[in-house]
Amino acid sequence: MPHTTEREDTRYHLASTLMRESLLDKEVQQSTEVPVFRMLPDTHVIKIGGCSILDEGRAATFPVVDALVTCLATQKLIIGTGGGARSRHVFAIGIDLGMPAGVLAELAQADALGNAHILGTLLAPYGVVAIPPHIFGHLLPLFIRTAPGVIFTGVPPYALWEHPPALGRIPPHGSDAGSFLLAECFGSQDLTLVKDVDGVYDKDPKRHPTANFIREISVTELKKRQLETLPFERIMLDLLGHARLLKQFQIINGRKPAQIIRALGGEHVGTIVYAD
Amino acid sequence: MTRELLSALGQYLSEGSLSDARLLTQTGLEPPLPILPKANVIKIGGQSFIDRGRVAVFPLIEEIAAKLGQHDVIIGTGGGSRARHAYSVGLELGLPTGVLSVLGTFVSMQNARMLNYLLAKYGIPFIEPAQFAQLPHYLAERGAVIFFGMPPYSFWHENPPLGRIPPHRTDTGAYLVSEVFGARSMIFVKDEEGLYTADPKKDRHARFIKTISVAELKALDLQDVVVERPVLEMMQHANHRRSIRVINGLKPGNLTRALQGEDVGTLIYAD
Repeated sequence: MPHTTEREDTRYHLASTLMRESLLDKEVQQSTEVPVFRMLPDTHVIKIGGCSILDEGRAATFPVVDALVTCLATQKLIIGTGGGARSRHVFAIGIDLGMPAGVLAELAQADALGNAHILGTLLAPYGVVAIPPHIFGHLLPLFIRTAPGVIFTGVPPYALWEHPPALGRIPPHGSDAGSFLLAECFGSQDLTLVKDVDGVYDKDPKRHPTANFIREISVTELKKRQLETLPFERIMLDLLGHARLLKQFQIINGRKPAQIIRALGGEHVGTIVYAD
Repeated sequence: MTRELLSALGQYLSEGSLSDARLLTQTGLEPPLPILPKANVIKIGGQSFIDRGRVAVFPLIEEIAAKLGQHDVIIGTGGGSRARHAYSVGLELGLPTGVLSVLGTFVSMQNARMLNYLLAKYGIPFIEPAQFAQLPHYLAERGAVIFFGMPPYSFWHENPPLGRIPPHRTDTGAYLVSEVFGARSMIFVKDEEGLYTADPKKDRHARFIKTISVAELKALDLQDVVVERPVLEMMQHANHRRSIRVINGLKPGNLTRALQGEDVGTLIYAD
């Protein structure tokens, strides 16, 4: 820790290792690079897609619920939901009305919360319910020790404080990012993103039937390849690059619900994206 | 399913991938509307200002009160010494960045509450993020409102590239309020004249910088800067608030001059 002698410091300090320091000083920042405590190492964070699963109705959702129920018998699940089609719709209307990204982020939370309640209703017989975001973080350890799983709004509480996107108006922190950040903060064992494709392809598989599947890939390699589309939010690459605890995540196909059980069991069934 | 959507954009958004750069470009063709174009966002430093006590704070409060009705001000607060203490304790215990963010929020909330009581006789409210929907009303009624500077990311706070301290603290939180509302100005009230080439408290050879672009500032790659680095990144992507001002609030009149648009302190702008 750098020590400083101040000239005429007339501020009132509370003694600490960071006392008088600028938190923007790179040396001070480096000195805070210390190991992190894992709060919930035995939990699995799993994100259920809005567009890809819940919006498809009973045909896609019920088998996913059945797979989750199987897992809940032996595993602790923290389940995030995306906003899906309604978020896309409110983005289009909001952009037309001149709303900034922060307002769109605020609006998107409502759709993800709605989907959390939809999933919460279907999992209610198993004691798994949707918890609203303002109490979720603080009470998560309690919930997860009293129920086999909990459901949260995957979209993180960035709202008006969403970062201005580099391109366009869509809030960069969606439900993939929210699920990642939660798993990283609580030190969960793993993160699984449930989509309607098998994983990452070199081209969008919905438009290019000949696209090649990529079974595993690093952040650096994915950034280098600059694929036109990804089956997860692009900001995930930055978040994973800065992760201290969660060094990879897996994308799986929820239309093949057995993959959920296998992925949560630690198997490699979809695409694993890892930090180098 | 038949879809009757408002616009071609609605069609793209319902069918396309949000990771597709072509689609994202379409979402940014029209600039967003400024929501509160007459408001000014002021961030009052924690360690640099509030921790100095009444000597620093009372004159600034008087200056703000004297200008009520002339300039709408949204006032955010920093954390300061107690936030450093909490981070220091938390780091030693190995707590993750998200938890440190929660701890930092509590400190900037204490500072916001104290400023709130100092401005209470003028009817100025303190609002938490959940009450931001009422902000335009308070601003219209009283001309000022106080909030805590920390953005409400809590457990969802991103890790910094270096170290463990939450990277998006009160400078960032205040800046984002100015950007999302399309505010008229973003003024950081600190205890130095503005930006220097080094921390002027530690290096007597530090040179003052009057005006600088984000690109120039990044090229200097300073060991220490006067505002959180993510603010500089965000300014480059901003639709509205593409400049910020850093002033010395210990000098009476500086805030008033900044509110009047005078060139006081340091101006940092995105090219």
